[in-house]
Amino acid sequence: MTEPSNPDRKVTSLRELPQSIEPRHDLWPGIEARLGAIPAAADGATPAQRRAVRMRWLAAAAMVACVAIGVWVGRGLLPGTAGSGVLAVNTNPPQAVQPPVNAVPREVYVSDPRYQEQRAALVRELQARLAALPPPERDKVTASLQAIEKAKADLEQALGHDPSNALLQELLVNTYQDEMRVLTDVHEASDPGRGI
Amino acid sequence: MRNGSGLAGSVLMLLGATAAYAAAFDRQVPAQPRGVVEISNFSGNIEVSGWDRSEVSVHAELGGGIEGVEVSSESGHTSIKARQPGHGEARLQVKIPKDSELNVSAVSADVSTSGVLGVQRLSTISGKITTEIAAADVELKAVSGSVQVKGHGQPARLRASTVSGDVHLEHTGGDIEAGTVNGALIASLDAARSVHARTTSGGVRLEGTLARGATLEASSISGSLTVRTAADGGFAYEVSSFSGNISDCFNASPEHTQYGPGSRLNGTRGDGAGHVRLRTMSGNVELCDRR
Repeated sequence: MTEPSNPDRKVTSLRELPQSIEPRHDLWPGIEARLGAIPAAADGATPAQRRAVRMRWLAAAAMVACVAIGVWVGRGLLPGTAGSGVLAVNTNPPQAVQPPVNAVPREVYVSDPRYQEQRAALVRELQARLAALPPPERDKVTASLQAIEKAKADLEQALGHDPSNALLQELLVNTYQDEMRVLTDVHEASDPGRGI
Repeated sequence: MRNGSGLAGSVLMLLGATAAYAAAFDRQVPAQPRGVVEISNFSGNIEVSGWDRSEVSVHAELGGGIEGVEVSSESGHTSIKARQPGHGEARLQVKIPKDSELNVSAVSADVSTSGVLGVQRLSTISGKITTEIAAADVELKAVSGSVQVKGHGQPARLRASTVSGDVHLEHTGGDIEAGTVNGALIASLDAARSVHARTTSGGVRLEGTLARGATLEASSISGSLTVRTAADGGFAYEVSSFSGNISDCFNASPEHTQYGPGSRLNGTRGDGAGHVRLRTMSGNVELCDRR
């Protein structure tokens, strides 16, 4: 332990400073007592880790708002999807691709209840609408819907690792818009006497 | 002997065709040169061509299950509809004044148009749309069918979309918006002003020329993007891909993002008057400023 010989003396060079300074007493018991006062995290994460996780979820939440707004704005601009919910078509297509386990939950991205309601209505009727199409066309459209589901799952998985990635967010919004366009087109296409 | 067999085969095919379309229908009605013509058919096909006369001519071949064709014309509005209580097919050949506005709706029928100079709105569910466009607005929608457009380089506003079919646009200019989910999207551009192309898993290939100051945007999730376009005044470009490769023909090197995957390529060609923006998640991107 190196103590400065004369604390009032002016320092003229870094070399004159002590290499290390020991505390006047052992600080560890106090630190240990304070650590003991903090509730232990169930997963054993350190405060820094918990802060990082919290920041990721905050970023995800901010992104959700952007995506939800984007989806609604996009729906308003897309042909055939605007206005009074025409929509009442489909459900998950057969063998739909499920989001990966480590992806951020889908509800996080699109939290607007109106969007969810309308999409759910379209999805509920999808099978019936698909059944109205000739079998070869039904298979093609089902394959397209599966491609969209896979795209969404891939994007959500990537966003799970990089929630603030603007490129992925933009592509996800595009994909949600495309999904609504397809669901709406299928709905209107199989509406007898109406066509698309 | 071989010729005899061929002749017999042709006769059989003709008989088969005659049997499939047992009845014919013909009618002409007066129409305004710039009126509106609406045509609908459930199954079969619809062929529309523009002509110089102020009348609409309908020729139909009707299969079993088709009751007939309703044709009405009033106050510049002509309506043609195949009455179809069953599942029969009707083949409609319709001639309309070339400057008419045309609306066609079909379910399981191919739609083709030629020589129509007015606005066109064509939709079919499982058929193919083939159209020749001029300078007027055109909107084309299919679900499982493909969309093919032949332009003449005239600026028009074109919107073409399908769910699972391909989109082919030939010599199209003006403002173009096209999309498909898993089909291919291929376009040749003639001095296009704005281009918006989007697919989910299908590839996109855009070639041709852009007008000065034009905007071209294309994106795909897993499909590839290939853009080879020359623009008067050049263009600024922004290319981004999360995990796809980016390449170009002018020796620029994509920059990799500092944190995590992803690469981008930004820069300017010529004076940078136009703007090219390309985005993919996993699809490869190729950009070239030459056709």
